[in-house]
Amino acid sequence: MIKTLYILKKEFLLIIRDIHAVTVLFIMPAVFIMIMSLAMRDLFELHGTVSIDVLAVNQDTGKKSEAFLKAMEDLRTFRFHFIEKDTATDKVKEKMLSGDYKFALIIEENFSAFVEKKGKGKDEKPLELLVNPAVNVQTQLVLKSALEGKLAKLRWDAFIDRIGRLLALAGIDRKKLKAAEESPVEVNYVYKGGQYFKVPSAVQQSVPAWLVFSMFFIVIPISNTFISERGQGTLMRLKSMNVSRFSLIMGKMVPYLLINAIQVAIMIAIGVYVVPLCGGTALTLGDSLGGLILIAAAVSFSAISVALLIASVARTTEQATTIGGVLNIIFGALGGLMVPKFVMPGFMQDLANLSPMSWGLEGFLDIFLRNGGVSDVLPKSLSLVIFGIVMLTLTVILLRRQREV
Amino acid sequence: MREAAIHGEPLIEIKHLYKSYDKKPVLKDVNLSVRRGSIMGLLGPNGAGKTTLISILTGVIRKDSGSITVGGLDLDRELKSILSKCSYVPQTLAFYPRLTASENLEYFGALWGLKGKKLKERMEFCIDKGSMQAFVNKRVDKFSGGMKRRLNLAIGLLNDPEILYLDEPTVGVDTQSRNYILETIRKINRERETTVIYTSHYMDEIERVSDDIAVIDEGKIVLHDDKQSILIRADAVLISVEQMGDAAVKNLQQIDGIQVEKDSVHVKRDGRFNENMAGVFAVFRVHEVRVKDAVFGHRTLEELFLKLTNIRLRDED
Repeated sequence: MIKTLYILKKEFLLIIRDIHAVTVLFIMPAVFIMIMSLAMRDLFELHGTVSIDVLAVNQDTGKKSEAFLKAMEDLRTFRFHFIEKDTATDKVKEKMLSGDYKFALIIEENFSAFVEKKGKGKDEKPLELLVNPAVNVQTQLVLKSALEGKLAKLRWDAFIDRIGRLLALAGIDRKKLKAAEESPVEVNYVYKGGQYFKVPSAVQQSVPAWLVFSMFFIVIPISNTFISERGQGTLMRLKSMNVSRFSLIMGKMVPYLLINAIQVAIMIAIGVYVVPLCGGTALTLGDSLGGLILIAAAVSFSAISVALLIASVARTTEQATTIGGVLNIIFGALGGLMVPKFVMPGFMQDLANLSPMSWGLEGFLDIFLRNGGVSDVLPKSLSLVIFGIVMLTLTVILLRRQREV
Repeated sequence: MREAAIHGEPLIEIKHLYKSYDKKPVLKDVNLSVRRGSIMGLLGPNGAGKTTLISILTGVIRKDSGSITVGGLDLDRELKSILSKCSYVPQTLAFYPRLTASENLEYFGALWGLKGKKLKERMEFCIDKGSMQAFVNKRVDKFSGGMKRRLNLAIGLLNDPEILYLDEPTVGVDTQSRNYILETIRKINRERETTVIYTSHYMDEIERVSDDIAVIDEGKIVLHDDKQSILIRADAVLISVEQMGDAAVKNLQQIDGIQVEKDSVHVKRDGRFNENMAGVFAVFRVHEVRVKDAVFGHRTLEELFLKLTNIRLRDED
């Protein structure tokens, strides 16, 4: 136990005094998570919909227009940019062109009257949509349908409210009637492989992706230490001190498992606490701590095993850094870390399954996104562990041949 | 060449040791014994097999055949027990440059199973022996070459070894540090009765520090004797002759105080020098041996080494 503590202490000191290792293991993923969570925010959050900026003028003074705009914004598809209510239509057109808006929505002053079917202008059109002719028909339809849908719902609700007394006399629940007009269509995305797929937010994609990526970058400090130990004769010294091959490998495995665990904690904390401070959405963690620990440990084990193999193959730290870096980038690109799997074509999604980073990423997404538990991440964890065992076996065979351990 | 220990009880005994790498023989029928409490200087050119021999003795690599016993224990069967009494200081600086001297000592001490007060005591002993008090808390990558060498040696003393293997412990250091290291090795040997196996390219170091000397070349021990005998042999007259017949060699071997090879005769410059010279020339006359050359005066260990290994020194570092 005491030996293990000193081994841990040694490895930690070596890492915190190695600026390159600290950069690669902690700073690089933290920066990536921040940048990607913020930069890709809109892309991820508007996946399956269209991000549409709409210049808006609300000339209505009633409450119904406010409710209407809120209902539109709740769709999280449109972003309204309001200008003064008394802006003339020509001015609106000017602003639309100068501000590069594709749409402008004028909510006429009769909007509330129209919805409530009473007052001045109750039979006149309450909305005017100005459209840039460059906008494709599908996008126009998306906005037009949304406007019509929300307006119709608003009018239905107002109608229900108007005949509220009659409904009460007839014993009909007003709320139920209103709810019946909600969209009857339930949307689920079907992911290749058959499971229902929920699209991650930018932070839900970025944190596990860059976390897995950085965990595999453990190859840099491991190979630095290992190759130095070999080159400087420290391995020989350790061998002559009766330190077994098993202890030597565990001496690398255990400290770096802990270092990976610290990475997991820090990157999750960044996703939960720091990204929202910068305007992104917060990472949601799911409910299964056991599942999170299992998948994190499995990713860590496989990353360390790959790192040990690379450290054994490479003769110099430069070689190890190059081999490890290139391999990680290929694993990452292939495994859906850099480009999310759900935007890949089918054959690329099949290829992605070859990358252990993909197994890790999917495991973390099971926990963060799909509220999965231990049983959900078990298959991916087992794949990672088997992969790690194969890598470790190759490492031991190689080291035996090299007569160095 | 003598195969058994000259003085004292043999601690390490190596018999018919063979080792090959990829079918290339590196050690060929090595026979050597090391006396308990002695310092054995192991000389040899690069690639002679010194490091391989030490690596086998320290359990880093396995031998192909032959037997090695250490303190009566068989190396193959009792490796763990043997290694617990040994320490190996490699030629390379085998520690962690990003750690301080103290952190390095603490780590290696813990690996030896030391802890608490015992670990502290051994660390203090090593710091003292390496004279490292002033820089014990400095990171090792800031050390000079001499300081690094002293730390390398100090780490080797952590387990208070019965046998200390030192592979070129003074490579790349200044004169002061070299002297300090040699003094320390001598002190450790005297005070702790540590048996030391010491390899070096520096003849003067070997001459200064060793009790016994073995010369290894192309995987074979070509000379093994106590230092005094070797130095006496060095202080001799070397008579080079044309190849002698067996009868001449046999007759010359009757004369005390000379050493005979087929093409040379060493006559020690001792009290019987004149008498021995007369005897040698009498044999030459009888067997019609033709003298090619005679060199008088003091021969250094280096000259002897060069003659034995038939090469020039290739690496002075």
